[in-house]
Amino acid sequence: MLSVENLKVVYRGVILALDGVSLELGDGEAVALLGPNGAGKSSLVRAVAGLLPKFEGRVLDGHVRLMGQEATHLDPVRISRLGLTAVLEGRPLFRYLTPVENLVAAGHRLLPQELKAGMEEVFARFPRLYERRHEQAGYLSGGEQQMLLLGMALLTRPRVLVVDEPSLGLAPKLVEELMRTLDALRREKGLSLLLVEQNARAALSIVDRVYVLERGRVVFEGDAKAAREDQDVMEFYLGKEEVGFRQAKRYRRRKRWV
Amino acid sequence: MADFLPYLIGGLANGALYGLLALGFVLVYRATSVVNFAIGEFLLVGAYLTYTFALFLPLPAAILAAIPLAFLFGVLVERGFVRPLLGRNVVAVIMATIGLAAALDGAVQLIWGPDLKYLSGSLPNLGFQAGEVFVSSRAVWNLLLALPLGLGLLWLLRRSRYGILVRAISEREVAALALGIPTARILAGVWGVSALLATLAGALLAVASGVGHNLVFFGLKVFPVAILGGLDSVGGALLAGFLLGALEALSQRYLEPVLPGFTEALPFVVVLLVLLVRPYGLLGERQIERV
Repeated sequence: MLSVENLKVVYRGVILALDGVSLELGDGEAVALLGPNGAGKSSLVRAVAGLLPKFEGRVLDGHVRLMGQEATHLDPVRISRLGLTAVLEGRPLFRYLTPVENLVAAGHRLLPQELKAGMEEVFARFPRLYERRHEQAGYLSGGEQQMLLLGMALLTRPRVLVVDEPSLGLAPKLVEELMRTLDALRREKGLSLLLVEQNARAALSIVDRVYVLERGRVVFEGDAKAAREDQDVMEFYLGKEEVGFRQAKRYRRRKRWV
Repeated sequence: MADFLPYLIGGLANGALYGLLALGFVLVYRATSVVNFAIGEFLLVGAYLTYTFALFLPLPAAILAAIPLAFLFGVLVERGFVRPLLGRNVVAVIMATIGLAAALDGAVQLIWGPDLKYLSGSLPNLGFQAGEVFVSSRAVWNLLLALPLGLGLLWLLRRSRYGILVRAISEREVAALALGIPTARILAGVWGVSALLATLAGALLAVASGVGHNLVFFGLKVFPVAILGGLDSVGGALLAGFLLGALEALSQRYLEPVLPGFTEALPFVVVLLVLLVRPYGLLGERQIERV
């Protein structure tokens, strides 16, 4: 569905954010992309969504293929038509619009009756949103905003869903609920899911495979089970042990072998 | 007080045109955050287009013919001048629109010459006598066109899908793009509508007072009107247009004999006073801030 080959991304011509990243997302597969701040996760999201130019970035080298088509330099509208929807980081909803209007905006390609049915489905899934459907979305709670974003993503009728840090700023309990919802949605709609997260524990609970990104390179790739058993990944991202500065340095030393 | 109503009606008729023009200005500002200093020239171009069509068409047809051309003109301005600069420094975009204003001024004089021209033909006379008050045909036409158009646009922006998309893009373009919304096309449409509204205002103004370079000064009124209404409020622009139009006319009648020249300054004084009480303008929106 989505395949990234040796992707290099640079901002303003000088800042190298991705340095040869390759990644595969199969049909109906769920894959997590983990990594600390500044690893290049969001750059990858922007690159596959065709949004790099909006951030003064561009693809220097490598390819993005979507549904078997070359999509490296396609504009976001075309990419969306091909079936990829990216939910960017930072809860990118329209805060001055109501949830209903947000959903209408997201479902802009649907026919009126499809939109209506789609909205009913979203509201049936998230009753809380229905209660607050006519309030400005900016005043919804973090969890409700995240639900709305998922609802909006669904109305774009995606086949590949890329979600960037949905857990950010949510209470642990909400994160758990969110992951369950994402998982359920994926299975129900047969989506391919690329889940970009810092919260590795949450992400690993619902994915098949995982990539770990650091400083613009993939430093680990394997199935989710292997990741949970891998000492490095566990220590560094799941915080199984107290990770202090010393351990972090040890991690860096060991990482060279990964 | 016998003068009150006639002056009020005349003022509202003027205000309708302020409202139309400010509507176009605010629409563009809201959707693209561009302060279009060339809005007065949009009006000028629209008036001259109407004049040109009126040379060989009856006036109502001339206005109708000028409108799609004006829309196209707005789209072209967006493509050529604004799009390449979007996302750049705010000052760069402002300088570009000021440059555009100067260029259009020059182009208009080059094409149509510097002297005042009068439209051939006229709109059907709709003036009527209501009791002791005579309502001029000009007032009827202005109100008849501006009110439904303004309110209709307002409704469109609030309720229609297209309006929701415009508001979505104006708030977060990147998020809209990520949803696959064709932002470029929609924003170009907004500029088109803005030029269309300016043209209509220009045409109606030209019917009343001829076509000349002085129309640009009418365009300058758009700034106090838009600021008074709240720069991001389309409804506010319409309301403020009528309000300032009426106040100006009444000041012309009642204040001018006491304070000569005050009417010129009145819009700005009103804006100042209102902003002291409501810093976002009459209907401007407060920013949502979550911490």
